[in-house]
Amino acid sequence: MAAPEAAAAAPAPARTGRGGHTHEWLLLALVVAETAYFAYAGSNFFTTGNAGEVARASVEIGLLALALTAVILTGGIDLSVGSLLGLAAVLMGSAHRDLQWPIAAAALVGIGVGVGGGVLNAALVARLGVPPLIVTLGTYSLFRGIAEGFTGGIRNYTDFPPALLFLGQGRLPGGVPAQVPLLVAAAVFFWLLVHRTPIGRGVRAIGFSPEGARFAGIPVARRLSLVYVLSGAMAGLAAVVYAARLGQAKADAGSGYELFAITAVVLGGTSIFGGRGSVHGTLLGLVAVALLQNGLRLSDQPAELAGILTGVLLIGAIGANRLVAERSRA
Amino acid sequence: MRRLGVVLGLAVLAAACGGSGGGGAGGGAPAKGGPTVAMMPKNKGNPYFVSCHKGGQEAADQLGVKLLWDGPTETDPAKQNEVVEAWITRGVDVIAVSVENKEAISTVLRKARAKGIKVVTWDADAEKDARDVFVDQATPQGIASVLLDHTSRLLGGKGSFAIITASLTAANQNEWIKNIREQLAAKYPDLKLVDIRPSDDDRKRAFDETQTLLKVHPEVKVIMAIASPAVPGAAEAVRQSGRTDVKVTGLGLPNASKPYLKDGVLDSVVLWNTMDLGYLTVSVANALARGTLKQGKGGLDAGRLGPKDVDGDHIVLGTPFTFTKENVDGFDF
Repeated sequence: MAAPEAAAAAPAPARTGRGGHTHEWLLLALVVAETAYFAYAGSNFFTTGNAGEVARASVEIGLLALALTAVILTGGIDLSVGSLLGLAAVLMGSAHRDLQWPIAAAALVGIGVGVGGGVLNAALVARLGVPPLIVTLGTYSLFRGIAEGFTGGIRNYTDFPPALLFLGQGRLPGGVPAQVPLLVAAAVFFWLLVHRTPIGRGVRAIGFSPEGARFAGIPVARRLSLVYVLSGAMAGLAAVVYAARLGQAKADAGSGYELFAITAVVLGGTSIFGGRGSVHGTLLGLVAVALLQNGLRLSDQPAELAGILTGVLLIGAIGANRLVAERSRA
Repeated sequence: MRRLGVVLGLAVLAAACGGSGGGGAGGGAPAKGGPTVAMMPKNKGNPYFVSCHKGGQEAADQLGVKLLWDGPTETDPAKQNEVVEAWITRGVDVIAVSVENKEAISTVLRKARAKGIKVVTWDADAEKDARDVFVDQATPQGIASVLLDHTSRLLGGKGSFAIITASLTAANQNEWIKNIREQLAAKYPDLKLVDIRPSDDDRKRAFDETQTLLKVHPEVKVIMAIASPAVPGAAEAVRQSGRTDVKVTGLGLPNASKPYLKDGVLDSVVLWNTMDLGYLTVSVANALARGTLKQGKGGLDAGRLGPKDVDGDHIVLGTPFTFTKENVDGFDF
């Protein structure tokens, strides 16, 4: 199966080409510029301690964004990840407190809920062929609704054991926040998956043309299912990290995270129409947004400015990318 | 593909900020002269907190304090933590927080204390070991007692009422509700609390919840709205329902309440002076940073508020105040 698929998909994404990394270079320049500016304007910005905090604060969004990169590469979208994070977090909290399960088992419940939510999205998108925007807009409300109903909007699960709290608040030897290795592992996994496997090529091919991919012998439904299930699984994992970082799980956990994650993906140069994009681009997008928010706070600027500048950044970066692309084509 | 590696490598490097072992905050050297006080509301857009900020700034200007003011623009427990984390990294002398969610914020506040930053909670408290001092706007007993006095008067000592609260997890409101229940049992056997609905600090939500309440519980004759945006929301719902037999009382801001007090839907609004609360908080933060806070009666010189008593880790602003149709025009916040 893998052989014809690889062969068939090869011509579609072709090489993004040597000149195809312009966007990533642009983003990198942006990240460097942000770093330089905030090192000058912020207090204690340019320190290992702060680098750790920026990384720590980026893990949940990062996990979601990595999985969303694969989803968006197929030309799809998953709006339900923030809500699914909330649902997974409260069910995990409930397994731990109400059912008295050990924390490792409760964490598996969280991840399991994520996978389950992903399976539901996958079934609707891949098997029934409902447009992903509609499916995940539905599950966006559904998952959050279940989480709110389950807790009555009131119950807040706390009293997590020190082992879990260490994952969210502790530091490994060398000062690395304990949850960062999870993000690194996920980044490596998704990078290999998207850029180094026939599955990744299939995913891009679907993004360029689902019909073409099908005729080329790519198991479209199976590939689509995979990316939505992975997206759910990452939401579940992000829920565990969220609960560990804040020491609480409430129904409102992760609200709005789907949009932050999509911002990182799109800023990272992944085309919202699918086909084009990269995992390392997403990581750069993530870093650019995280540095902006952190740096503004450390230079005593109000938080609203972060929203404005993120918007400017997104529109500016995508616009610049378009301009460069037009010119190089001309 | 090697270039990709370079891109990634540089990105990681840039993200790691090269860090020549700055290693976090430390107390943060006081800015020229006065200490740096970082103050956080639950929600920056709420006029209640806007007026607290005004009072805080007034005290900061008098005392030579550099005041930072930041917080969530929407109710999000994770946001408060992120802002506190940033302040710890930035290095400030005092962090003063109105706590949205006790459990979530206490971990970061403890971390701030471990780094030598003084921590004040104001308006809503964190866990005891997570802060140095709590600046209390009024005791819960005092608030519950004044609110129940108004409710009992409106009901003629007998009947049903309902509460519109902030969110069902809001620590302050839950403390008041607990005291209301205790005093109901002890002093008001004929008053019945039939329902408690959340407004999430949102006027529109309070409006919707009140409309529903009036339909579900027609026997309710008094709505007690105990979050400042909930007062005009509840009053508007009662006005639109045309039910002249229902009155609203509660805890809110005078400006937003004025029109409803004037047309009689809203009977009374209980509150403390929010500008004084902000003023007192910054005074306490300043005294903590300079080491001039003393225990006991008159242990704090609170500027235009006069001396205030310091009772362990607890400082109270004063007794609640009732705004009515007659006196509300004298206030503007």
